[in-house]
Amino acid sequence: MSDKVQLDTKPSKITREKDAWILHFPRFGEAGTHYHTYGLLTPYFQGLGEGRLMATRCVSSKCPIGKGRGDLWLPPRADCPDCHQPMDWEEIKDPRGYIYTYTHVERGGTGLEIECPYYQIDVKMEGVGTIPKSYLVDRKPIKIGDKVRAQFRTGKKATNTCLDLFWELA
Amino acid sequence: MIEFQPGNLNVPRWTRPVYMVAAGTTDFRKRYPEKKLDELSMMAFRMLLEENDLKMDPQEVKGLINFACYGEFADHFQDQLLCEAKVHDYLGLDPLPNVGIKTGGATGGSTLLMGATTVASGMADCVLVLGWERMDEVKTWTGNFYIASAACKDFETRLARNYASYYAPMARRFQEMYNVDERVRAEIAVKNRGYARFSPFSQQPGRHTIEEVLEGDIVSDPLRFLECCAMSVGSSAALLCSEELATRLTDKPARLYLAGGSHTLRTGDRRPMRILLLPNETEDDYKELYREMKAQDGRWPGFESFGATRFAAYMAYHMAGIRNPLDDFDLIETHDAFTISDLQTYGDVGLTLYGREQDYVTSGDCYLSNPHTGKQGRCPANLSGGLLGTMHAVGATGIFQAGEVLWQLQGKYDKFHGDSKLWERYGKRKPDDWQSLQVKDPRRGMAISHAGVGSHVVCSILEKGW
Repeated sequence: MSDKVQLDTKPSKITREKDAWILHFPRFGEAGTHYHTYGLLTPYFQGLGEGRLMATRCVSSKCPIGKGRGDLWLPPRADCPDCHQPMDWEEIKDPRGYIYTYTHVERGGTGLEIECPYYQIDVKMEGVGTIPKSYLVDRKPIKIGDKVRAQFRTGKKATNTCLDLFWELA
Repeated sequence: MIEFQPGNLNVPRWTRPVYMVAAGTTDFRKRYPEKKLDELSMMAFRMLLEENDLKMDPQEVKGLINFACYGEFADHFQDQLLCEAKVHDYLGLDPLPNVGIKTGGATGGSTLLMGATTVASGMADCVLVLGWERMDEVKTWTGNFYIASAACKDFETRLARNYASYYAPMARRFQEMYNVDERVRAEIAVKNRGYARFSPFSQQPGRHTIEEVLEGDIVSDPLRFLECCAMSVGSSAALLCSEELATRLTDKPARLYLAGGSHTLRTGDRRPMRILLLPNETEDDYKELYREMKAQDGRWPGFESFGATRFAAYMAYHMAGIRNPLDDFDLIETHDAFTISDLQTYGDVGLTLYGREQDYVTSGDCYLSNPHTGKQGRCPANLSGGLLGTMHAVGATGIFQAGEVLWQLQGKYDKFHGDSKLWERYGKRKPDDWQSLQVKDPRRGMAISHAGVGSHVVCSILEKGW
């Protein structure tokens, strides 16, 4: 087994309708495809394939929580749950964080595209209010508090899913 | 919502009291090819009508029902939409109205909650609450994927497709934050699976040791095989009614108080909040915890606790006049889908302070017989065998738990667990070393029904009616 976690998957087919990416998910073969839209979160998934981590921020001065400059949301959401106004997109440059918690996945459910075993990690980042879940490419033993930096599957390697973001030990 | 406005904390005020008078259930199995889903539901319904010592004959009781609420977790598993219509018809209840209710693992509790509100509002006088799940049409690992469809499909399902892997990071963080000995988690598995040995309904009874749990295969580190519940098939039912009907139907009804809470599908989206205090807590109780959280970059409820459970308990306690849960409850059923969720819950429902959950378990108060004193624990937990030992046929679970609490309050543990004929009904033999797990003179109990990684929770308080 290699010391880096591999994916066992093919890039998901994407079509575009206006600004939205539509993910093709062939559950029952071609004819039984689910067409799942990324909707207003399309910039996030598009960004991953281009090596950019895009988050959203509430900048509404009327927001009772953000008060004009809320924390970043990751996973992003298009609208602020506190004031219900559309949020702004912002790129997180050179994304780094630390492992807030983790598990070592020995076996996943049917259809898992990540080669087991691997670490599923929850990453805390400065300025981000949420603690997004992802996976670690390294197989070395880890502990809470270990520093990590973001990596991306880009270009032809992109799966066009959340798996295009992963982390390596910094 | 991370800050409450005054209206958000208004306590539900039902317009009339609601009672639970009867319960019924199947046994639970990993596979149940002998019966179809509607046939299993009939088993639970029949037990409810015929075996609860109701003061009317089954036909008369059925003649009182004027609404039904059905709980089913996942259409994926049943591979049938509108199961409610099939079951309702099969039970011979058409053309009475019914609704289907779905809130993941908390479906059973939510179904009870909705059933109770139909009585509380006057829409129904007597309501059947019945739930089921059939998880044996697919292999376990496909079942795990189905369950993981109850994680966020855009951002989390692809990261495991196995629900234990969403609980395991909570276990990891809880363990490190509160310095928990993993033997405590293992002890919970041993206790609940041990209690399941005395239940004819149980799917995974076992006399295990802490060492055996810890030496078991890892499902998702740190959770071991015996710390996780299994795929399950079965059905459970409850009969709820008005006070006037309760008087006519039984001398031993339980008054119900139910409330729910919810909190984000993704654990990491739970932004920091001030701890919502229960009646037995003060801000001072948590000064040190807030300091520790600051030092460890922690947050409440974070990965360690369930805000939805705390919110549901807050509301239900105010409805029922609970001042101190450890004094006021005589037993509790937690949603121990994983050992860690049982442990986390003791803080959420205020049986102990946050951060002291481990001490609560080792105190022995969650045992029927406290291993340190030999006396009855102050609030025995999961005498039914819980999800780990007895069942998690998801849509039935919250209803099954409430039924077990009802029978305890009625003093009927032995009737429903100790009768050799009941064991034989399910093709089992009553163990020679069978023990009664009847709590001595219980007055009040609670069942906690819990979804996702804490996305929905319903607390059902049952109190001896009179």
